[in-house]
Amino acid sequence: MTTRREALGLLSAGALSVASSPLLAQAKPGESVLRIAMTVADIPLTSGQPSQGAEGIRFIGINLYDGLTRWDLSHSDKAPAIVPGLAESWSVSETDKKTWTFKLRQGVKFHDGSTFDADTVIWNLDKLLTPSAPQYDQAQSNQGSSFTGSLASWRKIDASTVEITTKSVNALLPYFIASIFMCSPARWEEMGRDWNKVASRPSGTGPWMLDQLVPRQRAELVRNPNHWNKDRIPKSDRLVLVPMPDANTRVAALLSGQVDWIEAPPPDAMTQLKQRKMQLVSNIYPHIWPYQISVLEDSPLRDVRVRKAANLAIDRDGLVNLLGGYAQAAKGMVDRKHPWFGKPSFDIRYDRKEAMRLLSEAGYGPDNPARIKVIISSSGSGQMQPASMNEYIKENFKEVGIEMEFEVLDWEALRARRRAGAFSPENKGRHGVNNSWTYWDPDIGLIGVASSKRRVPNGYNWGGYENPKADELADKALQTFDAAEQDKVLADLHTIMVDDAMWIWVVHDLNPRAMSPRVKGFVQAQSWFQDVTPVRVEPA
Amino acid sequence: MLVYIARRILLTLPIAIGVSLVCFALIHLAPGDPLSAVLPEGASSEVIARVREAYGFDRPLPVQYLIWLKHVLVGDFGTSIITRRPVTAELAPAIANTMAVAAVAVVIGFAAGIVMGCVSGYRIGKPADRLVSTIALSGVAIPHYWLGMVLIVVFGVQFNILPTSGMGDGGIGSLFTTWNGFLHLLLPAVTLSVIPASIIARSVRGAVAEVLKQDHIQTLYAKGLAPTRVFRHVMKNALATLLALMGLQFAQLLGGSILVETVFAWPGTGFLLNTAIFTRDLPLLQGIILALAMMFVVINLFVDVLQTVVDPRIKRI
Amino acid sequence: MGMSFPTEVAADIGFSQPSRSFWAVVGRRLRRDPLTVACGLILLAIILCAIFAPWIAPADPYKTSMAYRLRPPGDPRFLLGSDELGRDLLSRLIYGGRLSIFMGFAPVFLATLIGTTLGIIAGYAGGTINALIMRAIDVFYAFPSVLLAVAISGVLGAGLVNTIIAMTLVFIPPIARITESVATQVRSQDFIKAAQATGASGTSIVLGHVMANVTGPVLSYASSLVSVAIVMASGLSFLGLGVTPPEPEWGLMLNTLRQSIYAAPINAILPGVMIFVTSICLSLMSDGLRQAMDVKQ
Repeated sequence: MTTRREALGLLSAGALSVASSPLLAQAKPGESVLRIAMTVADIPLTSGQPSQGAEGIRFIGINLYDGLTRWDLSHSDKAPAIVPGLAESWSVSETDKKTWTFKLRQGVKFHDGSTFDADTVIWNLDKLLTPSAPQYDQAQSNQGSSFTGSLASWRKIDASTVEITTKSVNALLPYFIASIFMCSPARWEEMGRDWNKVASRPSGTGPWMLDQLVPRQRAELVRNPNHWNKDRIPKSDRLVLVPMPDANTRVAALLSGQVDWIEAPPPDAMTQLKQRKMQLVSNIYPHIWPYQISVLEDSPLRDVRVRKAANLAIDRDGLVNLLGGYAQAAKGMVDRKHPWFGKPSFDIRYDRKEAMRLLSEAGYGPDNPARIKVIISSSGSGQMQPASMNEYIKENFKEVGIEMEFEVLDWEALRARRRAGAFSPENKGRHGVNNSWTYWDPDIGLIGVASSKRRVPNGYNWGGYENPKADELADKALQTFDAAEQDKVLADLHTIMVDDAMWIWVVHDLNPRAMSPRVKGFVQAQSWFQDVTPVRVEPA
Repeated sequence: MLVYIARRILLTLPIAIGVSLVCFALIHLAPGDPLSAVLPEGASSEVIARVREAYGFDRPLPVQYLIWLKHVLVGDFGTSIITRRPVTAELAPAIANTMAVAAVAVVIGFAAGIVMGCVSGYRIGKPADRLVSTIALSGVAIPHYWLGMVLIVVFGVQFNILPTSGMGDGGIGSLFTTWNGFLHLLLPAVTLSVIPASIIARSVRGAVAEVLKQDHIQTLYAKGLAPTRVFRHVMKNALATLLALMGLQFAQLLGGSILVETVFAWPGTGFLLNTAIFTRDLPLLQGIILALAMMFVVINLFVDVLQTVVDPRIKRI
Repeated sequence: MGMSFPTEVAADIGFSQPSRSFWAVVGRRLRRDPLTVACGLILLAIILCAIFAPWIAPADPYKTSMAYRLRPPGDPRFLLGSDELGRDLLSRLIYGGRLSIFMGFAPVFLATLIGTTLGIIAGYAGGTINALIMRAIDVFYAFPSVLLAVAISGVLGAGLVNTIIAMTLVFIPPIARITESVATQVRSQDFIKAAQATGASGTSIVLGHVMANVTGPVLSYASSLVSVAIVMASGLSFLGLGVTPPEPEWGLMLNTLRQSIYAAPINAILPGVMIFVTSICLSLMSDGLRQAMDVKQ
């Protein structure tokens, strides 16, 4: 009987939700509303550190919250820099180079009216990193762990000064700090110290405040008129975020006027969107679609000539065409104009002849192909059109004498295998993993993948790449605190990575989004994150 | 009869326990690490161990099962790994959305099935019957996710007169109250209705033929009995069976709508199931399968009992 | 994926052995049933095409050509158009029959073997063994079939073998039920009880009788399952839970072409035509055959 009651309970719960969910937009007459369809299947976690990766940070993280530092997303023509956020300035101790002092902005209020100060910074760091703290939250801690890994300790100096010590010398701290979000301790107390309840009424310092959250259906944010940064007070009154994982659904929703802006329209819909006068915007951003490769004993890719040949065998222009033009041929990990690009001598291009020459030098040829097996996914965030693209490259490879075989996994399974490293038993005999990557900070983009000290799980070096010069430059970058100097060291590191053909780099996504012609004021930054505060929808 | 009903309900109990065991076992057959979904890029092994413990995945399986069962019995289906919301909170709106489209599909199927069945039954063995029977058979043989795509191509792409995906922006409340909501419901419901329509058509065809064979009807028929009278006879005889069929079809649709929901991006249980599978959200996956299977068991039981009440001549077991 | 298993198939069982004249009757009846024959011929054509695909297909089903993606049917280079990677659709449809049809037959075949065995054991042994087997079967029967197939293959992960395992598990319960009910009926016959009493040779006599009587209803039921299985298997591939790319398979082709449904709607629905034609021919044919072989008629 229990089971029956259970099911009946569920039925009535379902019926209840029919009656009670306030689903229609709560917009008041005359309000200007911006409605965005995201690609995620659910509203990212709103209680602090968002879930759902970059999209969570893009739409929830930097809208509801601020970090001590932030990305300057107001330019479309250059890579965004780190600028002051809730901290007005910071410095690192000359003596040990591990102790950082952050001077906090004064007079900043949370959405709930409480004051932001040094205590709240300490409280938030404990929330992520001190399991014994009452406010410690496992879920937020997990989500934040890519950014908090280098932190050793933190303390309050005075009401507007905090000191953070890193585990080892790490000049990249300001990058990480940008994605560690500050939420209001007062709100957590008010909600009975329950993070799940905070999720429906979060309180940050960001330019938007959460008005309403209907899980899996919509999040409605309203303007924070008191935001500390007067330049970033939203131009729209209300921001509605709708999860729509299905690409065709997003297109249909935009065309029918259900939303004003869609993320990642599918390449084959571009023509139709253009015909219907939609704006298509795109820009380079730190995304790369590569094969991360194994250089272990059993891998044909251990031989740098084979790696180079593979890089030369890909017809990237054809791929760009396949992607409706919304991709850029890769010349390395980072894009050509990026400050970390450097001066590699190995020019990544489409050159079948050279590829075949290198392969035959390495002892391979059309009759004796180099056989590689790579792990690919059927879909996934940032993976673009994995099936089509992999198929395409397989054909390219075949023409020069590389036989590529696939193991197709779903996205989460692929991520788990990437996290395990090429040397783990389950990855035996796999020579590459097609996991799209980012270079939004030097750690994940260059140091963490190229340094031999950063083999998984201590970093992102999947395939065991090892080059003493790369290690040396990686260490040097971590100890170079001057931003311009650091960029130079990173450019040298990138030069080595490309000359070693460390990975097979294919294309950069151009992050297309489609918008109704009435959407004005959007500047697409060269970033995974975007600022929607200047955006406004003109009345019809 | 009461004894039969009591017996029937009692017999359902072991099935329910078995179903819960299968649900649990299924999830623990899953290859790959369930935690991969909650861990960010580059999580250290220490973080991984901590999370594993926090989610209880380090306990022995029988213990995990008992803990899970205990919670399920009090209505706690656990918490989604990905969203951290209770699984029941995830399930409730999804079930409501699927029920909405399944219910409309069954109603459409019922109406279409009765029309087809009557045409067939009156003209049994004639070309009309063969034609309608073949159509009915196609209803079962057609891959209905593909039928959905065809409908999208026709009504969404070529003529562009009907919305082809999602539920519109009004949510479930607007499906039956606004024109736009109803339009969103139309294509998925019609797509799902073909199976119930075929099955009901076959059943009605048989029932009509049966009634027409009866001697007194034959006599009346010869005297010019109105087809509506025959129809009333048919309904009197077959209504219980037809209602039961509808109930069972409704239950099948609840569990089997995943393909059509995928085609139309309908935010119901199938869509949730898909999300749970591809994000490896095991508690959610377990919860959906269990809830849907239990609803299936309960609806079956309900239909069975109801049929016994309506028509005590039907003897079972 | 119309999945309602007729549970009462085994209601009437003739205890007679088919004679030679039986097939003559069947043949005569079939000749008067052009629909069944036509369906049989279409199926035969599809299967032959699949088997001899390398000789029939005009192009290599794996050969991509980006310059010619999503060409409409009738293009001089592609009779039925090309897919999202510029592969020849006609060739992929021809090759696709191999996996799609195989995935329809394999699970039904396996489930028939396993289900019949379980059913005979349960029916023959009776008592506790019967209860154990049949209650376990009941549990699997308590799941909506599509849900069970999706759940199992979702959990096991994509791949041909996993799909076949999942579908086999879905089909075992109804087959085991039919077999068990026939076997139990046979067992209760008086002469069988007598034979059973004679020991070892008795057992084989009984098994022989059970087999003889089980074959008809089980085969008739299994043949009607194949069409369901083909639709279900391609459905799993359509969800990304079945065959993995780049294999040509009808369901998977529908899946990958769905992205392009606005750009090339006709191409996007073509693979479904194959699934539909195969499935409808299979069910019409198995219907026709069942009628033709119906002894009572």
